[in-house]
Order: sequence, then structure tokens, then C-alpha cells
Amino acid sequence: MPGSEQRPLEILQERMGENVQIKPGHLGKASIQAKPELIRQIMQTILQGEPSAAISAITGLDLGDNIGIMYHTRLREALITVIVEVAKTKPIIQSITDLIPGANFHERELTDLFGVTVEGHPNPGRLVLPEDWPIDLYPLRKDAKLDNIPKSPPPQEKNASEEPETDGKLVNIIIGPQHPALLEPEKFSVKVDGEIVRKVEPRIGYVHRGVEKAAEQRTYLQDVYLIERICGICNSCHATCFVEAVEKILGTEVPSRGKYLRTIILELNRLHSHLLLLGHAGLEIGYETLFQYMWRDREPIMDLTEMLTGNRVVSSSIAVGGVRRDIKDTDIERIKAELAKLAKKMPFYQNLFDNEPTLKMRTRGVGKLSREDATKLCVVGPVARASGVKFDIRKDEPYEAYGEIPFKLITREEGDTYARLMVRLAEVTESINIITYALDHLPTGPYRTRVPRTVPKGEAVNRVEAPRGELLHYVRGNGTAFPERVKVRTPTFANIPAFLKTAIGGSIADVPANFVSLDPCFSCTDR
Amino acid sequence: MSIAKAVTWARLKSPWVLHFNSGACNGCDIEVVALLTPRYDVERFGIKLEPSPRHADVLLTTGCVTKQCAERLKRIYDQMPQPKFAVAIGACACSGGVFKGNYTVEGGVDKIIPVNAYIPGCPPKPEAIIDGVVKLLNSLKEAKPSAR
Repeated sequence: MPGSEQRPLEILQERMGENVQIKPGHLGKASIQAKPELIRQIMQTILQGEPSAAISAITGLDLGDNIGIMYHTRLREALITVIVEVAKTKPIIQSITDLIPGANFHERELTDLFGVTVEGHPNPGRLVLPEDWPIDLYPLRKDAKLDNIPKSPPPQEKNASEEPETDGKLVNIIIGPQHPALLEPEKFSVKVDGEIVRKVEPRIGYVHRGVEKAAEQRTYLQDVYLIERICGICNSCHATCFVEAVEKILGTEVPSRGKYLRTIILELNRLHSHLLLLGHAGLEIGYETLFQYMWRDREPIMDLTEMLTGNRVVSSSIAVGGVRRDIKDTDIERIKAELAKLAKKMPFYQNLFDNEPTLKMRTRGVGKLSREDATKLCVVGPVARASGVKFDIRKDEPYEAYGEIPFKLITREEGDTYARLMVRLAEVTESINIITYALDHLPTGPYRTRVPRTVPKGEAVNRVEAPRGELLHYVRGNGTAFPERVKVRTPTFANIPAFLKTAIGGSIADVPANFVSLDPCFSCTDR
Repeated sequence: MSIAKAVTWARLKSPWVLHFNSGACNGCDIEVVALLTPRYDVERFGIKLEPSPRHADVLLTTGCVTKQCAERLKRIYDQMPQPKFAVAIGACACSGGVFKGNYTVEGGVDKIIPVNAYIPGCPPKPEAIIDGVVKLLNSLKEAKPSAR
């Protein structure tokens, strides 16, 4: 329903009158500029009218004397942005976490990186920065002095001293930062009562590399390489999301062959990511044969990626204005043949997940996430789709060649670990179909256009459906070869609250299976 | 065969490795995991991925070493029994790579612990990682491990 987001905006305009300025077509479908005091009122109005509305990201922005705060809000298929500004001398904003629980991490990140005090936040504290980070140093502010950072003593471990509901019965189990079940360094404190999980406290930020700040210090050309390395698994999605945002500011139209080639690369990315996850899930639930089989079948995808782009993993093939190199005719036949082989194996895996007793016991009914909770926690991607939320950027806001390629939107109703894995398994088949269709209908002509190195003043927000879900990039240009601000909201960042919710009440033994079904990627989360 | 010779033989034929991600982008990590899967299958060299530092001989480190991970990396290295070896996998682990100079990045594993072998690449191909680890093993035949 295109234009269906208009109604809530009309209601907002009616109620708030002169207090809000609605600018259609700016930062998504529309932007709403308002005073910071009104933020709760505005969010309340939007959320009341739309039960499916959710927060995609909260972006901070250093504007000199002020700090701009942008609430990127999903309204049905569209994205709208609520913009407020607070003074740098008194950066205080009201929390909206009680209105929409999915805003929790976004607000904590805002406090960490911009020093905006969020009043009324249920659990403020460090999110991505180290514990011994200086208290009054906010790295994403333009005036932050980041040479020779002094170490301040870490604050008293709040969690250790408080523990109000311990009453001697709960046992604290620490998972991570180095743990065989996690390939990445993150820490989860799981409080268990016997076998039952009562509370999960995450400590993320071990992989925080300051990519957003680094992007401001590099040119757009260099940024493509940097931003790809936010995540080695969904690297092409990050690159595509960034270059599309830059192309929006530049007003560049990518040649249609370039669009199709990008689609093929993105879907190869999704294929390898989904197969990786399905194998990893096998490893986590103690079914190692599945892990070995899946990774065996994933290797041809890596070969195809290498053939098409020149590298197995980080492909660096997406460039501003198109793709870096063309596809050869002989490659087309080989990709089709390899994908046909993979497609033949899919019924075997489907049968395995449906009938194998180990997989049934470890995945069915584990970590149930209801549709209401999925919306409230603002989860994205296969996690949302497994809970029955019809949300896929490829359908809602088609980018590249997705608008011209027929494919099915996979959803399931169960909302458990099994459903989350099955959504991905079905998407593997869809991805194979998308690539085959794209190869059959590959347009002729150029695959790249020339673009200037300097990007004019302007801003753009762009979304891409990465293997893990909605990926959002915000880019602001200032007329030079360096961006003013790059914001990245990754899908796992939005999905972690789902784990914190679904793990509670379950068995400690189900934690790995439940957790891995989100396809967590912390290098994405922390940036 | 002397005892020393027997120990060296045993060490060469069954190196247990521990993988630690010190802030990598996952690119190197998925290639390290790929080593265990049917196509590359490093178990044919006796290499086994070991979850506990206390049982490991070789520490495979990926990533640019973030400030939060640095202390953890040191602790894990200290927990490993002697003799121990460290391998830096990927451009980030070798020097900080694309993230060098960022505000939370130490840049390079060798700033925190001594490194015996560097495997460059972004990410290195699984073949390159196997080559690096086997080279490290071969070097053990002659040289004594760097005692600490």
C-alpha cells in the first residue's frame, strides 16, 4: 500500500499543528522536525495509530553548538525520521524506551558516543565503549580529543553489588568473552535458578573499532573498503548500503547491468551467510555432522564469489556508481550449474530439519518470540519473519534489481528456533532462484558510471536487507571528499533484545541453540 | 629416541589450537572455521581446535585488538601452558590493518603478546592459513620455542 504512511502523518500534523514541520521525501518518506520536549508526544501519537510501528535507529549528529538526534521510525513499509536538536551545553532528552522497548540500546549508544543524557532510561550505562573510558569523552563529537586517551578507573561493577533478586538462589554463569560457543568476544551473564534462566545481562563492545568515526577521516572511496570490513560475512551488504546512500546524495543512477550484478553479489552473500548459520546451528546443538555437511555445500558458493569478485570473503566489488568488474559469459554458466547442484540438496536438509529427532528436540518450541513482542522489540530480518512479521526491505523498498525480480517473501508463524532456521533454509532456495533469474535477464551495457570524488552537501538514509535483516546507513556529505557523518545500524544490534527476552524462562541448555538462531554478528553490532 | 626428541615429535604431530577473536570483522574467523570443514580438513595434520586455553599449544588470534579485548588476550595467553606459540591471522592481527589508528584499537597482536608467525591477507585464504601453521610447525623442528 504505497502512501499508507500518510495517514499517521496527517494525524500528527492535526494534533501538533505548528509545532512540527513535516518535510515529505526527506530522510525516508518524510522527516518531522520538532522541539526536543515534544519527542515523547510525537512518538506516542505515531505508535498509538500504528501498532506495527518500530524504531529502526537513533542517529546522533554533531551540528556545532547543537546535537541533532534523529529517530528513524518504521511506519508500515516506509521509513520516516523525527529530528530534534538539543544544545551541546545541556544535552538532555526524554527516553522513549517505555513507549517502545526496542529503543533501549539505541538510546544507550547515544549516551555513550554523544554524551546525551537520556532521562528516564530503565538501565543506563556503558554499551559499546570500554569500562575504563574517560567519563566526559564522547568519541563521535567533532571536538573530541582522541589522542592519548587517559584511562580512568572502571566504575564499580554495578551488577555485582546490586543484584536485588538474587536471594541466594540464583547462580551467575558467565558466557564469554572467549567461549567455544561464541566465535566472537562478547560477554553474557546468565543468571540461572537451577536449570532455568531468570535473567540475561549482555556486555557488548568488545569488537567496537570506532568505524563511524574512522569513516569521517577517510574519503568516500576509502570508506567503501572500511565499511565493508564492519562485517566479513555480510560485507557486500554494508558496501551496497553505503554506496547507495552516497549515490542518493550525488543523484547518480547506476546502469541496470550494474544493478543486476550487485543483486547477484548480494544474493551470493546471503547464500553463504545462511549456509554458514545453518551449519553453525548444527554445531551449537551438538549435531556436528550437519555443520560439516552445510559447510561442505557452502564452499562452492565461496568459489563462485571468488570467481565473480576476486576474493572469497571480503569481495570489495561494490563501487560508487556500479560494480568494480564485469561478469564473463563462461561464469554465467558455471554459476547456474553450481547453484542447480545446491538446489538439489535442499530437500535433503528440509527433511533433516523436519524429521531428525535431535534437531526436533533442540529447536521446536525453543525461544518462542510472539509477533507482538517481535514488533515491540523492533526485531528485523529472519527473526521477525519467523514470528509472522511481513518485513523485508527487498519487498518494501526495492533497491537494485529486486523490484524487477519475482521472489517469495518467506514468513512463518511459530516464532521459535525451528522457525527462524526454516525461514533461512527457505530463503536459500529463493536466493538461488533470484540469482538464476538475474543471470537469465542480465541487461547489456555498462556496469559502472563515473562519479565525482567530492560529494555535495546533503544527507541520505538508506536501507538494505542484509542476511540478518534490515541494515540502515545514514550518510551526510559536506561538499568535500570526506563524509561529515556515517551512521550504521546493523541487524544484530536490533535483534539482541529478542534473545534477552526469549532466553528467560528457558533451560540453560537451550541458550546456545536459541542464541545462534538469531544469527548474531557482533562485529556488526559493535562496529 | 631421546625424550626431548619424542616431545618435539608429539608436539609437531598434534598441535592443539585455540582461536581468539580480538575484535575482527569475522572475515578471518569464518576462514579459520572453514579449516575444520571437509574441504580443508586440518585435522589431517593433527591440528585440533581446542576451546580451553589451558589445553592449547597454539593461539590463533584474529582481529585488530580492541582496547577492551587487549587485557583479555593477555590473560588467555598467560593461561596457556609452556611452550606456547601465537599466530596472528589477517592484516588486522598483523598490524591493525584498515582499523589502525582508531580510538579503541591497539593495532596488532604483537603489541600485547609475542607472536611467532604472521599470516597476512584480508582475509588470508584457508590455504594461506594452513601454510602459515605448517611453517610454524616446521620451524619447531630446529628452533626452540621463544621461552617467556
